[in-house]
Amino acid sequence: MNTYEFFNNGFGRFLAEQTNRPHKDAARALTRSHPIINKDGKPSTSRLTGWAIIRPNGSLAQANLLPPEIEADPRSRYEAFAAELNEWDGSPRMFLSFSKAPLPIANLFITADLRAVRICSPGEVETFNFTKEPEGQAGVAHRNVMRWRQKLVS
Amino acid sequence: MERFSVIAELKTPIIFGGGYCTLDALLGSILFEDLKDVDAAHAAIPIKCSDGLFHASAAIIEPFDTQPVSFVANLRADHAIHPDLLLKNKQGLTHRRMGRTRRRDYGAVLNKYKSISTHDVTWFAEGDLEKTRELLEDISFIGKRRGSGFGEVKTWRFEPSSLDGLLDAFDAPVRPIPIDRIKGDESWLKLDTAWRPAYWHPENRAICYAPEPLA
Repeated sequence: MNTYEFFNNGFGRFLAEQTNRPHKDAARALTRSHPIINKDGKPSTSRLTGWAIIRPNGSLAQANLLPPEIEADPRSRYEAFAAELNEWDGSPRMFLSFSKAPLPIANLFITADLRAVRICSPGEVETFNFTKEPEGQAGVAHRNVMRWRQKLVS
Repeated sequence: MERFSVIAELKTPIIFGGGYCTLDALLGSILFEDLKDVDAAHAAIPIKCSDGLFHASAAIIEPFDTQPVSFVANLRADHAIHPDLLLKNKQGLTHRRMGRTRRRDYGAVLNKYKSISTHDVTWFAEGDLEKTRELLEDISFIGKRRGSGFGEVKTWRFEPSSLDGLLDAFDAPVRPIPIDRIKGDESWLKLDTAWRPAYWHPENRAICYAPEPLA
């Protein structure tokens, strides 16, 4: 399955209309505002914020998105990513970390192997080995995920 | 069709900028310079192709040193035509004036790379050796930042090989191969990456069995 088909299948199709160009559909889902339930419990619209984890059969997101297929989850991003990787069943995942800048589709990446995990974010992307402890030049994502992993295990 | 290896002996360190730099990608880019058509260039790559998958390995290197290198590109964009001639937005204004200091305003851009010091770069492939030789032997630089002197080739060597450009002597992948195209081994690395040219195009990405990416 193509990277963008995976994204749309688990997440994008609930947020943007689908055509026969999966990467264009993914770009629309990532750049548009979407209906959410805000902190006061009222319907509103917002750009994607927080984080999301896309699984082959559904997805989790920190933002309380209106489509019921995307499950809301209040955990912090690295806690959620570490827990997902810790309990990984071998099927593909996509880890998304949103910030002010839109997430470019070129940064989307399916994690299919614990030795090549990527947190997809708008800035510089970092692919790391979840089976190894971070060393000298390890990036922020690797260090934070491993810190949460230790907390979850202990 | 014959099986062969291509070895580029280098004079200077090389920059790949990540990914794999497969031989078909290298040949495709050389052909594109002449043909100026992406599809024609890919169709002319003289390498065996099975349903889009070229039998050509990724670049294989044995680095003896790697160094971070940075380049500052100072873009100095400006309007060359009168603002009255530009399309106006809903507020009746042209887009904002270009600044000169910040990246988002076309200021300086810092590009970071990793340069690799290695004696040579090797590829394995199955295809037309003579056509491959014709395309490569006049190429003096490969990789990124060629204009800055990186990736200068001293000599090209072409040798017969037993490898098919897909798997190595231990039956491990030497290039990205989609997981539905080959019966894999659990020890092989699985990565989301492009597996056929154009390697930059989003539609050509899939979960693949692949070797370790280049730095």
